[in-house]
Amino acid sequence: MVRLHNVMTAALLFVALPLLTEHAMPRLVRPHGYLNLDVGIALAVAALSLNLLLGYAGQISLGHAGLLAIGAFASGIVTSRWHGPMALGLVLAMVVSGGLAFLVGLPALRLRGLYLAIVTVVFGLVMQYSVLRSTVFSGGSAGVALPRRVWGGRVFTDNTVYLVVSLLLLLAVWVVDDNVVRSRVGRAFRVIRENEAVAQSFGIAVTRYKLLAFVVSGAMAGLAGAMYGHAIGFVNNESPFNFNLSLQLVIIVIIGGLGRRAAVVVAALVFWVLPSFISGLHAWAYIAGALGLMVTVSRHPDGIADLLRRERPPSFDDDAVEDDSLPALPDLPVPDRPGALTTPAGQPLLEVHEVSVSFGGLRAVDAVSLTVPAGRITGLIGPNGAGKSTLFNAISGLVTTTRGHVRYRGEQIQDLRADQRARLGIARSFQQVGLAKDLSVRENFLLAQHQVAGYGDLAAIAMTPTVARVERELAERADQAIESLGLVHLSGLPVRNLSGGQQRIVEIACLLVTAPELVMLDEPSAGMAPAAAESLAGRLRELRDTLGRTVLIIEHNVPLMLDVCDYLYVLDAGQLIAEGPPEAIAANERVIDAYFGTALPA
Amino acid sequence: MQPIVLGVIAGSIYALVAAGVALVYKATRVLNFAQAEVGTLSLYATWWISTRHHQPWVVGAAASIVVATLIGLLFERFIIRSMLTASRVTVSVATIGLFSLMVAVELALFAGTVYLVPPPLARGGVTIAGVYVNASQWLALGVVLAVAAALAAFLRFTDFGLAVQASADDPVAAQLMGAPRARISAFTWGMAGALSAVAVLLIEPTVGVLAPGAFAGLFIGGLTAALVGGLDSLPGAFVGGLVVGVAEAEVKAHVTIHAIPSFQTAAMLIIVLAVLLLRPRGILGQHA
Repeated sequence: MVRLHNVMTAALLFVALPLLTEHAMPRLVRPHGYLNLDVGIALAVAALSLNLLLGYAGQISLGHAGLLAIGAFASGIVTSRWHGPMALGLVLAMVVSGGLAFLVGLPALRLRGLYLAIVTVVFGLVMQYSVLRSTVFSGGSAGVALPRRVWGGRVFTDNTVYLVVSLLLLLAVWVVDDNVVRSRVGRAFRVIRENEAVAQSFGIAVTRYKLLAFVVSGAMAGLAGAMYGHAIGFVNNESPFNFNLSLQLVIIVIIGGLGRRAAVVVAALVFWVLPSFISGLHAWAYIAGALGLMVTVSRHPDGIADLLRRERPPSFDDDAVEDDSLPALPDLPVPDRPGALTTPAGQPLLEVHEVSVSFGGLRAVDAVSLTVPAGRITGLIGPNGAGKSTLFNAISGLVTTTRGHVRYRGEQIQDLRADQRARLGIARSFQQVGLAKDLSVRENFLLAQHQVAGYGDLAAIAMTPTVARVERELAERADQAIESLGLVHLSGLPVRNLSGGQQRIVEIACLLVTAPELVMLDEPSAGMAPAAAESLAGRLRELRDTLGRTVLIIEHNVPLMLDVCDYLYVLDAGQLIAEGPPEAIAANERVIDAYFGTALPA
Repeated sequence: MQPIVLGVIAGSIYALVAAGVALVYKATRVLNFAQAEVGTLSLYATWWISTRHHQPWVVGAAASIVVATLIGLLFERFIIRSMLTASRVTVSVATIGLFSLMVAVELALFAGTVYLVPPPLARGGVTIAGVYVNASQWLALGVVLAVAAALAAFLRFTDFGLAVQASADDPVAAQLMGAPRARISAFTWGMAGALSAVAVLLIEPTVGVLAPGAFAGLFIGGLTAALVGGLDSLPGAFVGGLVVGVAEAEVKAHVTIHAIPSFQTAAMLIIVLAVLLLRPRGILGQHA
């Protein structure tokens, strides 16, 4: 589906641009300058393709030129060797480039870090210096022609017509991009760019979405390559799809504003079309771009994401945010979700058996066993560095256990990924607040509903009516949650701009919006104002008594823990040193020694 | 025998690029994409002095090393130092900017003409085991061995070298213990520049010309070697270099695929993908 303002913008472009070109501005079309408007549009599509990958999902590709080249040659083979129509060539270009992106991306994107950049560097250079010199694919220096075949013997040569076709394709890519951004796919991309662990805790299969971003980006790049080829009419092994193009695309996307579609398109057109009017400008534009890239990233040290905020200064009212006296943790809405609660109260929901976690030689968690019964509040206390958060990570799947096993609802889950565990109904908070802090409060509530947004990712890209309807429902639920928290005035602000207590409330509310059965809270009172922390006990009881949830909680606020927990475990130096009901723990001397320091003789 | 000997020589030069990548990665967790290109641009200094002004090769080579070291230091001073708190991915993007700048300057100033640099040593090859190894190749082997030994000794036996190592393991703790963070950072990037120049100087006789993009093979080989050996391991860089160099030479000698010209280059992509699938941390690396 297409949004109205996109259609209107496009209509304007379609009326205006063709009028401007062949007759009024002959320099923009062949045979004059080397770079013409249709070539510029193809490169703008290429920039959009990298923007989807780098701007949204935060993954770097330095081999996009290789994907463009494959698309161009694929379409050339279809139209000139098989005498197929250009439309088929464009489709095949997308399929081949997308498929190749899948093969190249799969080994790299399983890992965290810059491996995609390394693989794509080598991929791009191998394409340029080896594969594309093949007479089989590219026809060597003889090259491949790319006729604009409509059907059979009908070929159109009118450049104005081709310009309109190019604009239509740019519009199509624009719409796909827009659909991605407005659906759970785009939200998943953006949280992955910011924090993969948080993404997993929202139930997002990180590898799958990184791969999806690269495949969609690769398909768009293939299309861009084919569009380029049909604009020129011919490509050979001296094609412009060399490593410099890959670097220039990175420059355009970052300088153009990373993730900002319109700015990226404009930057691409300015960078590639403008210099064709002035000879010799290309080389200097490249130098300026490279310098611009370095200056841009070095002046925004908070990371790539920071660039997004550079023209969005905090235009909010400071008083609205600085709300230290937050009186109580507001009502945290939990939607009805049939089947969310499976285990009768009192029965074990989570069982941790002899679990150990080691980092190098350090054993952070050492053969710890604990049981969390359904419908109870179970507490985990211990001094700093006792291994509490590591145990949380082991339960939620963010670290691998070296020994032991974890059962949830009676089934072993230690071989599942973190996102799979989240989808089983295990929700967790983070000490450092597990939200996408660059996204707005509202976007975080949408993001939190990722796993309950039951539509396919391909449907999302097409923005089918079902997707649009589900998105409206998610938005409604998000708005309700925000309203019941009394945070309507902050809903458009990036979470980063909220106070610590507000961030925490939003985080916990986001956890509950998917109606998880087990809620794991890692120091929820950290960052809260004292008054808000006091109301925490009431909210925790409400979670248990009214909503029937199971809670596993880490806290340093010991009086709160003794007050609210049904059962407590005490961890010290990776080992369990005590367990029991609150009264017993409060009296346990070993606990007092380890946790509070040796008691003074009376 | 021939492929192995040639592979060892090429691989030892890849190892210098890989060592530069590993040094920077170990000290700063930044992947330096400009590791081969800084030396490429600097090689025009050798051309200017040795070809244009007929000075001995050694003088030109020294100039190239000085220029590359300066580029590294300037990059550190104006870009890296303002990014102390930036995410490591963002800093790596900055090195893509440096890479682009090197290529862009080459294209703006030197495109369209082929530049030639005299060989380091004109005469004096020796045949061993039926393989002729020329003087420039002997020089390459000797220089790489010397650099490896010097680097290892420096990092292990000098206070500053130990500070660099400590800073690599835990920058905050090292700084608290008095390791000079700014000097370590400057050293790392200056050294990376110098290593880049030495690698390009040594591979140049094999490539034969100086032109934008002429040393792409060095970049591919060096990056692959760094990954194979382990991005954070200096010994790994040398192991990786040898593995990649020999593998490339063997493929070149024994595998010919009509559909894919210079298949030994394509083999690099296969190696990279295989390492990522089987052992992402590389042969000697510590972390994935």
